[in-house]
Amino acid sequence: MDVGFTTARATPDRLPAAQPRRGNGRRPGQSRAMTGLWNTVAVVFGLVMAFPIYWMILTTVKSNHDLLAQNPTFWPTHFDFSSYSTVFNDPDFLNSMRNTAIITVGSVLAGLVVGFLAAVAVARFRFRGRNPFIVAILIVQMVPLLSIAIPLYIVLNKAGLYDQYLGVIVAYLVFTIPYVVWTLRSFIVNIPVELDEAAMVDGCTRWGAFFRIILPLSLPGLVTTGVYAWIQAWNEFILANTLLSSNDKRTSMVWLSFYSSSPTHGADYGSQMAGALLVSLPVIILFVVFQRKVASGLTAGAVKG
Amino acid sequence: MSAIQSERREGGVERLEGPVPPPAASRRRGVKIRGGYIPYVLILPAIVVLLAVMAYPLVRVILLSFQNVNSYLRLAVPGLDRWIGFDGFSRVFSDAQFWQVVERSFLFTVEVVALSIGLGLAFALVLNRVSPWAKIFVVTVLMFVWAIPALVTGTVFRWLFAGVGGVIDYICYLFGGSGMKNHDWFADPTEGLYVVVAACVVWGALPFLVLGLNAAMTQVPKELVEASKVDGANPWQSFRHVVLPIIRPFLLLCTSLSFIWDFQVFTQIWALRQNSPEPGYWTVGVYLYEQGFTSSHYSNSSVISIAMILLMLVVLVAYIRQVVKIGGQS
Repeated sequence: MDVGFTTARATPDRLPAAQPRRGNGRRPGQSRAMTGLWNTVAVVFGLVMAFPIYWMILTTVKSNHDLLAQNPTFWPTHFDFSSYSTVFNDPDFLNSMRNTAIITVGSVLAGLVVGFLAAVAVARFRFRGRNPFIVAILIVQMVPLLSIAIPLYIVLNKAGLYDQYLGVIVAYLVFTIPYVVWTLRSFIVNIPVELDEAAMVDGCTRWGAFFRIILPLSLPGLVTTGVYAWIQAWNEFILANTLLSSNDKRTSMVWLSFYSSSPTHGADYGSQMAGALLVSLPVIILFVVFQRKVASGLTAGAVKG
Repeated sequence: MSAIQSERREGGVERLEGPVPPPAASRRRGVKIRGGYIPYVLILPAIVVLLAVMAYPLVRVILLSFQNVNSYLRLAVPGLDRWIGFDGFSRVFSDAQFWQVVERSFLFTVEVVALSIGLGLAFALVLNRVSPWAKIFVVTVLMFVWAIPALVTGTVFRWLFAGVGGVIDYICYLFGGSGMKNHDWFADPTEGLYVVVAACVVWGALPFLVLGLNAAMTQVPKELVEASKVDGANPWQSFRHVVLPIIRPFLLLCTSLSFIWDFQVFTQIWALRQNSPEPGYWTVGVYLYEQGFTSSHYSNSSVISIAMILLMLVVLVAYIRQVVKIGGQS
């Protein structure tokens, strides 16, 4: 997931440079026609990709009359927001959003703290067991969550953390920590060691140097990794579905899955789509807001390195 | 997943450090001498947490697979557990359904990986040739697609392909498929899985692949491509012999990651079938969930988990080796 996200953000910077070189004078007419053809292909591709999202949003503002019509219409006869009020009238909806927020914030913060410390160790020190640790982190990242869902359930049950926020937060560390260690490592490697040393010459302890030099300088990295970890935790479904049971603790994804298969709303696609849009909205907003900031943080880090 | 990007960035950094090894090396050694115990203190919390939430559960899966914990009662009263050796394995492996599920998962994975890598490569190439406005349009759309959670994707696709009021039926009808009105895409699991679920998974995977592969392609020096053209290569040849070798490491990573993700697909199927997929939709992930949580056959489910990891092992090892190779020059 996260990979191309970063690389993608790098592309707009390269756009201007990449474009003009093509069709450099040679057979200008033909290359312009070709560019027109490729543009058409790209736009059609973009429209096809955008269609499910368009349809989701469109469904939320259609009236029941439109939704039950013989032939679906590609534009509503009139805008009707009653689907949203149906969702907001569901007593569990806002509660589930709050649950997701609690779990997400908890796991992101815990993951950042624990992951930052480990990333400093991996980036700054050579020690016995460093390479095995890195490989272990990589392996952990690849173990399917489904395969440890049952034992996690057993472990948390034994620890009294089943159906508790804390249990899910701890379980989510299984993917936040490896991710944070792996990504922050490259940010920290880019911070010159001389800065640590200068601080220590000026009377800082080594621990002081971690917190006064490395921590502030890796802030862009912390933001980037925090955003990705946030998205993963917010969207996570399998563990949330297995480790929480009571109605009032469900996360928004679990809520959506129950809502859209309930007898009352199973065929009510207007409110299902409204719910689907609302539970993904925080992530969409995060993508939009942080796209630029995180990109500038990344490039800044790269240049300084 | 996260691995690639940091690896690629760091690959550059480490290589930069390469030419000036003596000062760097001595500095590193100085650091090491000063803080002999410090790195261990720093990684301790991470190790403790990962032992608790990953290592112990994995050990537990292995133990469970040799036990007969196949009902909730046995789980609740551990005294009833018995060690049954490989009986659990032979029971699961002699079940014809298990092999059907495995075969279905492989077919599905091969289909989805081939489709998503093929389309990803094709549109990454297209993006290299379009005007800036078209590229910005496509990239923006892809970013939004990327932001949609898997469960939401499944829910939306269930509505798109709905038998009553579904827009895909209507579009097929508009394009001349008169019999397509009120067509139920899910009635036949083969069609539902290999068309609808596959479309859903490919749609969700394309943003990462197109944007990632396109970014990898922008690293190909234009001069090389132009030189190959001057030498008389056609577009396919210059792609095959110039572009492909350069993006190859990233392409391999993408392919193995796609395999790993698609083989364990669960959430989309779950949402598409409204939380109760019919047996015809069971891939390995769904099967082990059904066994473990729906029927409380915890030991059988653990056997399936182990089988799933073993089936993915070749690709997993290849992936990790590739990541270590790209980034591990440090």
